[in-house]
Order: sequence, then C-alpha cells, then structure tokens
Amino acid sequence: MRNRFDIQLEQLNNELIQMGALIENAITSAVKALVDQDKEQALQAIAFDHEVDQKEKEIENLCLKLLLQQQPVASDLRLISSALKMITDMERIGDQSADISEITILLAEGPYIKKLEHIPQMANATIKMVTDSIDAFVKKDLALAQSVVDYDDVVDDLFDKIKEELISLISQNPDNGGQAMDLIMIAKYFERIGDHATNIAEWVIFSMTGKVKIQ
Amino acid sequence: MRRRIFRNMCTLALAAILLSSTLVLVVLYPLFNSQMQKEMQIEAAYITAGLNQAVNKNAFLKTTEIQNSTIRITLVAKDGIVLFDNMAPAEKMDNHLSRPEIAEAFATGTAQSVRLSATLDSQTFYYAVRLDDGTVVRLANTTGSVFSAFIGILPLIILIAITVFGLALPLAKKMTNKIITPINTLNLENPADNSVYEELLPLLYRIRTQNQQIKHQMDVLQAQQEDFAALTSHMSEGLILLDTKANVLTVNQSAIYLLGAEKISYRGKNILTLSRNLILHRAAETALSGRHCVDLLLIKNRTCQLFASPVYENTTVKGAILLILDVTEQQKAEKIRREFSANVSHELKTPLTSISGYAELIKNNMAKAEDISTFAERIYLEADRLVALVDDIIQLSGLDEKNIQLPPEKINLLELTNLIALRLLPQAKEKNVSINVAGDSIHIFAVKQMMDELISNLCENAIKYNKPNGKVKIDISQQNETAVLTVSDTGVGIPREHQDRVFERFYRVDKSHSKQTGGTGLGLSIVKHIAEYHKAAIKLESTENNGTKITVILPKNSEHPV
Repeated sequence: MRNRFDIQLEQLNNELIQMGALIENAITSAVKALVDQDKEQALQAIAFDHEVDQKEKEIENLCLKLLLQQQPVASDLRLISSALKMITDMERIGDQSADISEITILLAEGPYIKKLEHIPQMANATIKMVTDSIDAFVKKDLALAQSVVDYDDVVDDLFDKIKEELISLISQNPDNGGQAMDLIMIAKYFERIGDHATNIAEWVIFSMTGKVKIQ
Repeated sequence: MRRRIFRNMCTLALAAILLSSTLVLVVLYPLFNSQMQKEMQIEAAYITAGLNQAVNKNAFLKTTEIQNSTIRITLVAKDGIVLFDNMAPAEKMDNHLSRPEIAEAFATGTAQSVRLSATLDSQTFYYAVRLDDGTVVRLANTTGSVFSAFIGILPLIILIAITVFGLALPLAKKMTNKIITPINTLNLENPADNSVYEELLPLLYRIRTQNQQIKHQMDVLQAQQEDFAALTSHMSEGLILLDTKANVLTVNQSAIYLLGAEKISYRGKNILTLSRNLILHRAAETALSGRHCVDLLLIKNRTCQLFASPVYENTTVKGAILLILDVTEQQKAEKIRREFSANVSHELKTPLTSISGYAELIKNNMAKAEDISTFAERIYLEADRLVALVDDIIQLSGLDEKNIQLPPEKINLLELTNLIALRLLPQAKEKNVSINVAGDSIHIFAVKQMMDELISNLCENAIKYNKPNGKVKIDISQQNETAVLTVSDTGVGIPREHQDRVFERFYRVDKSHSKQTGGTGLGLSIVKHIAEYHKAAIKLESTENNGTKITVILPKNSEHPV
C-alpha cells in the first residue's frame, strides 16, 4: 500500500515537471519572438511568467507542507530540499524569458542592425540546456545532468563571441549603439538562463547522490 | 494462535481440576459423613444398651474402651449437669441442657445435630440417646469441615495445576506447529499434491477452484490485452489512455513516435514523463475534468491533431483517451492548395486585366485607329496566354485526380523527341538557340500525349531560359532497364536555393521576368506529375549562369503505369 507521503512526493515530482514544461515553453516562445520579431509571441512569453510564478508558490507550499508534516529523511529530504532550490532557478528562467521578450517588443519596431546569427545559436544552446536539465530530472539521468553542467561553457563562449561582434558593430557605426546594448542585454539574459539550467542540473545531481559540487 | 491454544488448554485443565475437587467434596464428603454417622449410631446403640444394663454405670464408663474411644462420650443428667465425659473433667463443664441435641433427646429419646466450630475448620457431629433412667448419653465426633478438607487438598490442586501448565506450554507449541506447519508449507500452485490432515482438505479444494478461476480470468485478460496491444500497435494514430491521475495506462508506438519520446515503458508514469508539451498536458487535464477537447500539437516539424475525451463510468470520470493524428501532410497539402488558389487567381487576373483595359480603350473610342490592331494583337496574345493557362490547370487537375483516360502505348522515345525538336525549331531560331537530339532508339511503354507534354515542357524551358547563341542538348540512352532522357541547356541556370521549389506550381525563380519569358509557371509542375504517373524519377542539376540539366529516368518495361 502506498501511503499519503508517497503520493505527495509523486505529486511534487509531477508539479516540478510541469513547472519545467512551463519554462521550456516560456523560453522557446521568447526565442521565437526574438528571431521572428513577433510581438504576439513575445507577449505570450511574458504571460508564461505569471504562470511560472504561480507554480513556484504552489510547489513551495507543497514542499513546506511535506517538510512540516512528514519529517522526511535521506533521499526524500534531498528531493524536497533540492525541489525548493530548483523552483527558484526555474522561476528566474521564467523571469529572464519575460525580460528578453520585453526587449524583443521594443526591438520589433525596426530591423536588426545585423542578421541575428550567434544569438539564435546561443538561444538554442540554452533551450537545450533547460530541456536537458528537466529531462535529467524526469529520467533521473545523472550523465545527462552532468552534460548540462559541462555544456554551460558553450553558452559562455557564445556570449563572448556576441560581445565582440557587438563591439565591432558599434565601432563601425555609433548609431548601432542603442540596439547593440539591447542585444547584449538579451545575450546576458541567455547566459544567465544557462547558469540557472546548470544549477537545476546540479540540484538534480544532489537529489540523486547527495553530493554538492563545490565551486 | 499458539497462545490461544495454550490458554485454552490451561483453562481446560484448571476446570478439570476444580471440577473433580468439587466432585470429591460434594459427593464423597457427605458419603463419608453419613457413614460416620451410621457408625456413631451403632456405637451409641451399644453404649446405650451397655449403660442400660450396667449395674454400675460409672464402672462401665470407666472401662478402658470408653476411656480410649476416639468418640467423645458424655453423660448428662436430667437437669443438664454433666455426669461424665471421657475427654474432659465433667465437673468443669457447663450445664448442657441448652444443647439442642440433648434437649431434643430428653424430649424424644434420640437426637442428632451438627455444629461447625468457630473457625469453620472442623465440624462436630452429635448423637444423643435418652437412657432408661432418664439420663442422656451423647456421642460426639469431630471431623474436618468441607472447607478444611478443601484447604487440605489445595496444595495438591496447585501442584497439579502447575504441572499441567508446565506440560501445556510445550504441548501447545507442538500442537500449533502440527496445525500450522502443513498450512505454511502448502503448495498453493498444485493443491492436490499436498498430503495434509483431513480438516485442511476443504481449504485445499477451495484453493484449487479459485486457482482455476484465477487462471481462467488471467487467460481472458491476457488475451484481451494482447488483442488490444496488437490493435493499437498497428495504428498509425497515436493512442494514449490515462487514469484519473493522468498516469499512463497504455501508450502505443505511434504516440511515442509522434511525441518524439524515448522508447521506454511509460505504464503507470505520469503523462508528463511521456511529453512535456503544454498543449498535450492541458488537453489531458481538460479531458480528465470531463470535457472533450480538440487541439493542434506542434512537435518538432510535425503538426498533429489531438483529440482528448473523458472516459465515463456512470457519471464519474474514470480516465481519458488521447488520440493523436499526424496531419503534417494534410496541413502541407492545405497550404499548397491555398497558395495554388491564390496563384491561379493572380495568374488569371493579370491577362484579364490587360484584355479588359485594351477592350475598354477601344470601346470608349479612346484608342487611335492605328493602335487598334496593336491592341487587338495584345488582347489576342493575352487571351492565348489565358487559354494556355487554363489548359495547363485542367491538365494538372487531371493529373492530380489520376484521371487519365488515355491508354499507354509503345513509344519510340527518340522519334518522339525528334518530332518535338522539329516543332520547337522556330521558337529556338527566334532565340538563336540550337537544338541537338542524340541517342539510341529506345522504346518505352507510356501515354504518348503525356510524354509529348513532358518532353516539350522541358525543351521549351531549355530554349526559353537559354542565352543567345545557346545550346539545347537532348540525349536519350539506356541504362539497365531504364530509359534515360537528359535535357541540358547552356542557359541562366537555377540558383541553388530555388532548385527544390521549381517543381511547385506557379513557382518562378525570377518573378519580375515572368511576363517576358511567358509561360504559365505550371510547366515543371506538369512534368513532375507526368513523371510520377509513369513512375519515373527526375533529377535536376544546375549551376547559376552555366546551364541546367534535367534527367528523367523512365522505367522501360512498365506495362501498367500508375
């Protein structure tokens, strides 16, 4: 017989996956909106943020209820404590997707100073990281979680590339400065999303092994 | 169970001990008493007789038999004064007139009574007889009371009880083992194989019948499940069955494929592990809340239609069925159809606008007399273009419907190509392009009009998109069991990014020049359809500004195309 605690733990697991699905959609919408200069899509991505926040509160309540009422130990405790940390990172990803979309709406007024090339690359890399980190949680896949942690370097390298590219664009024509600033902000947001995805993967590793990577 | 058996055994033993003691006390004690009374009566009779006859009563009483008797003998005078007692000095004893047996004996002659001692541990039986001289002789015998008898045997009872308890413990253990061990070691799979005590046989019989029932039901269920799995695994539609908690009961291969999920078992897992698609998840939630829902899923490059329906048992939702249909092709076809309609309207409208414009000028007498013939020429050309366009559309829709009335026949491909080249010669001359047909005389089995159309279209394109002084080369050869027709030109070529799309209807590489080159934009599309109809393959090789080479590979011996 499964007791109430097991059912609640499974509910927590499912809620986390749901929140993961929400941020995946949020970031995918944000990227699509950015590439297609689609205001409608950008507004959708912003709308996701509210849902993500809602979900974070729900999961937080569930975690606290579990901690108070069931006094979990060992792996159950690790799952709940890492869930509490993961939702914070997921919520930040939701926020940053909304931030990117807000800039996208401003940028949608005119053409880009240069055909976006590395930013979509970076966006796809971060989407992959987010998706993989949630996949790692769903499948309890240690190797996948580790690969997410390692993949962060790719995103960081792309950020440096974009930075240099934008600097040269500004030096070519100072009028590019305004948009270049917006684009560097977007790139920075993606870089941060990558960091949050790394954190999620690290919490997945912690919840499974009890080991925390010391940086 | 063991404790219960032990308890029962102990209770039983205790009850047996108590009962037998009670029996002893209740039945044997009175018996013993009455025996004693009888003996006393007899003795009393002797003593009475002795005293009655004795001359000297005192001397009789002083005889050693009386003195040593275990029975207490007392002689009481009429006034109650004790005259003699063999166990106590008579002068110290009280007046005995108040004693019930003595009082009664004075009155009636004989009397008896029983008195318990103050401590209840003994009782005394009295028997009094009045003598001839009026005195009363009384015999008294003291025995232990029932209680003292009971207390007397109590240690024995306790001893027996302890012994019984001591014996009952291992015995209960042994008995429990004897009862339980056969039950624990029962072979439940084959109840008939067990050798057990007969009280267990009904149980075994019931197990056997139940085993048979279970096996039967399992077989039925398994057969049903296999049928279901076989049915669903061959479905091209994705099918997912969910329970009330959105956990997967069944998911078929198509669903896993369409959702792009990993091929693992999802039974009992939440639908989120199968796919995190929000639309899918929300549709499942809607269905589980009791409402039907239809939506479009976009997964990777596929478009799927999703139907989610609740499953009711009476009035409660017991789960949900999700059906996923791949509608990518339909969506694509729908898009092409929409584009086609838009293009057709546009293509039809362009010549009509010219025709109507020129006609209006003439009608309103706004055209100069010398221009009228030019305008008429324009009207004629545009009408011609319109007719060609409508012809092409009719032909294409015929090919679309595979509605071809013409029978296939044996055609000499080289002959046919030569004829076409001859027919197109004026057009080629106009553009200053040379046509060169070469190759072997190869026979194929195809619809002649359609092959004519195919080759003409290719050659016309080769001429139309050629450069001045260009060349068109048509080559016919045989490769294995196929006839290979190659039309190559030295024309403008098709840029790489357009190469995949030139076979689409109304697709133009250079949209601005379509008027100059003429044509309907349907030529290559018709070529593609005809080739498909004849199960032929088309290959396009082209480099911009260098020329285009289109190869059609026709199956030679195809008796029944289509």
